[in-house]
Amino acid sequence: MKHEIICAGIGGRGVLLASTILIEAAITSGLKAVASDEYGMSQRGGSVISLVKVGDFASPFIGRENGDILLAFEESEFYRTLFFLKKGGLALINTRAKGLPSSVDALLKKRGIVCRLVDADGIARDEGMFQSANMALLGFFASFGIAPFTPEVLENTIRARVPEKFLAKNLAVFARGCEAAGAQGAVKMPQQGM
Amino acid sequence: MQSREEVIIGNQAIARGLVEAGLEIAAAYPGTPSSEILPGVVYFKKMEGLKIHTEWSTNELCAFEVAFGAAAYSGARAACFMKQVGLNVAFPALLRSREKTIEGGLVIISCDDPGPQSSQTEQDTRLIATLFGIPVFDPASPTEAADVAYYALNWSFENKVPVIIRSTHRVSHARESISLYSPGARKVSLKEGHLAGTGRKLGIVASGMSYSLVYDVIEELGAADVVSIYKVLKVYPSSEALSDFVRSMERVLVVEETDRVIEALIGDHKKVMGRSDGTVPSSGEITYDIVRDMLSGVLGRLGLGRKDLFAPDGTIEEALSDVAVVPRPPKLCPGCPHRASFFAMQYLWPDAIYPGDIGCYTLGISQGAVDTCLDMGAGVTMAEGFYDAFNQDGKLVPILASVGDSTFLHACLAPLYDAVKNRKRFILVLMDNSTTAMTGMQPTPQTGVTVDGVKTRSVAIEEIVRGLGVEYLKIVDPYDVPLMIGTIREAFDYLKGDEMLPAVIIARRQCLLLTKGAAKEAAYPADIESDCVGCKSCLATFDCPAMSFDEGLKKIRIDDSICTNCGICYYACPVQVKGKALRKLKVAVKQGAK
Repeated sequence: MKHEIICAGIGGRGVLLASTILIEAAITSGLKAVASDEYGMSQRGGSVISLVKVGDFASPFIGRENGDILLAFEESEFYRTLFFLKKGGLALINTRAKGLPSSVDALLKKRGIVCRLVDADGIARDEGMFQSANMALLGFFASFGIAPFTPEVLENTIRARVPEKFLAKNLAVFARGCEAAGAQGAVKMPQQGM
Repeated sequence: MQSREEVIIGNQAIARGLVEAGLEIAAAYPGTPSSEILPGVVYFKKMEGLKIHTEWSTNELCAFEVAFGAAAYSGARAACFMKQVGLNVAFPALLRSREKTIEGGLVIISCDDPGPQSSQTEQDTRLIATLFGIPVFDPASPTEAADVAYYALNWSFENKVPVIIRSTHRVSHARESISLYSPGARKVSLKEGHLAGTGRKLGIVASGMSYSLVYDVIEELGAADVVSIYKVLKVYPSSEALSDFVRSMERVLVVEETDRVIEALIGDHKKVMGRSDGTVPSSGEITYDIVRDMLSGVLGRLGLGRKDLFAPDGTIEEALSDVAVVPRPPKLCPGCPHRASFFAMQYLWPDAIYPGDIGCYTLGISQGAVDTCLDMGAGVTMAEGFYDAFNQDGKLVPILASVGDSTFLHACLAPLYDAVKNRKRFILVLMDNSTTAMTGMQPTPQTGVTVDGVKTRSVAIEEIVRGLGVEYLKIVDPYDVPLMIGTIREAFDYLKGDEMLPAVIIARRQCLLLTKGAAKEAAYPADIESDCVGCKSCLATFDCPAMSFDEGLKKIRIDDSICTNCGICYYACPVQVKGKALRKLKVAVKQGAK
């Protein structure tokens, strides 16, 4: 099994925690995994990209149009990293918007990319945890059931990784993210990978 | 015996390897991408209950000499850690050390920054090591970095020769599951040689992360049967097997970061492709796409290519061409005290000369308050040079140098004394945020805390500045913009006097990352939107990540989710009525600070 996953967002909003949970979930499931982060010189507010590769790879780099899954924690970072995504890939975007610009919609359709929008910020805010939008997007992703990233595995990894003090709230946001996908009638994806 | 697995970054893996190899002394100065190694040693020594001396040194030369002293004559197993340009600071001692027979073991970890992403230059540690005959390893992954660190310290101890390990930020910052062994029990697997492929027409020689990339790309291109790949781990001295491999291939392509090292060691320009003939880009990080394009091209030219080689889908960029994407260039954090200092400096003299230095505050370039970025310490010494050049023509122009607290202690004591002794007239704004922010919040000598978290003697910057002979010294909170502006004006008046000495202003306010969050100077995010006339001048002079221009409304928008409520942007708004900030500011500029 191989997955190439791009996590894209801005600094200070939990992109690296999300990618850490993905890599640890893969490793506890007995898979090889490596992650590499790009955050440039900005401490806060700059673009952050974390590349996660699951399976037998030597390098942590992802090539243009090779990525299987793009988790965009900010809509702007989705556009910036869309070139990573392969034909038939999966894109999940945290945004308040109800749709994407028509030129982008047409492109995604042409490239067979499955794209879902979710207001992860809104979900996190409803739970009083604005900084936990990353958990909402992870929950949304979990509901697609792409092995090894099932809701159970991701939830257990969050339990092991997130400090006790924030755990209950984070799990609540994660669960709301899962439900949001159900509410959208998101179909389970066929198994990714080669 | 293997104890367990842990997901850690490459720098922590290096720390683990050294700790398992019996490390006794470790010294470092923080610098991206090397900064996490020393805290990694602290983490693992506590985990294993080992006695290892660990310290943040004041600069890389100090770190090197502490480690060398311990290794050379006391027989200790020692190591020092730095970034590639830090190795330049340690250079005098490094060159001498290679001639000495050390009694113990000495490993120097120097982390390169291809790109560069967070440095003033790319620089290849392997080149320096090779030029001066110092053994150097180039690990290809965090896992290998742990093994190499373990092996190198033992090898150095047995052979009484210092060893360099060159990491790059992709190795140092990649995260993998690493096996943790009991001290002394690591099972080392070092891979060098012809590891993949069966072809004879093209041999690819690569080291470090470049090898890992080549391996993945050859897999994707399905070209393993038409090429052969040779992995170099010990760059210098190079092995006989590498010469044999090169001899056995019709053509050879060398892929390495960031300079020509293996390529130069091989020689043979007729056979070898690489940076010399332009096959490999001459600078910048080698990415997946660069390797894929390059290998596709080379395979095609040698008649080894396939028809279905990768071709990028240009319609992606076409579809995105009309989508407005917020640009996110590197910026100081919202609420950063440096931004307030730069605003004040730039407000008073938009055309002053602004010698800058190395740290977060190099980003003051976007506010027009940093003109130069040479190396650590040059903010002060270049200010001297500018002064001399104008002074010779009989002109006294405003020169406002800026430097942070950690860099000041690292590299500016001699330059500032030099300026006093030689009677140079300029203003030094010493931006004291109580930490080494850009590299991840390491303590400075002023903090008075060791890397282990133990209290130590703290050294106050103002005492040092006075001790160096500076007379004009003011300490100002940069959030008090009118006072800051008034003080800068007053300092310039001082320069016009008879003293002929530099003036120093310490702009002191803790880094927001240190105070963990909001500045909380105001109860609400700044409301500069309601009065906004769309002039955009605040974007030029203030440049806060929380500000963006709404093209639809033709107004500035503040992003409440990252605004820290510092309220300083009121000063940057020329029409702001509510804050009355600008009016206060003009009064302050007129009167000067009392």
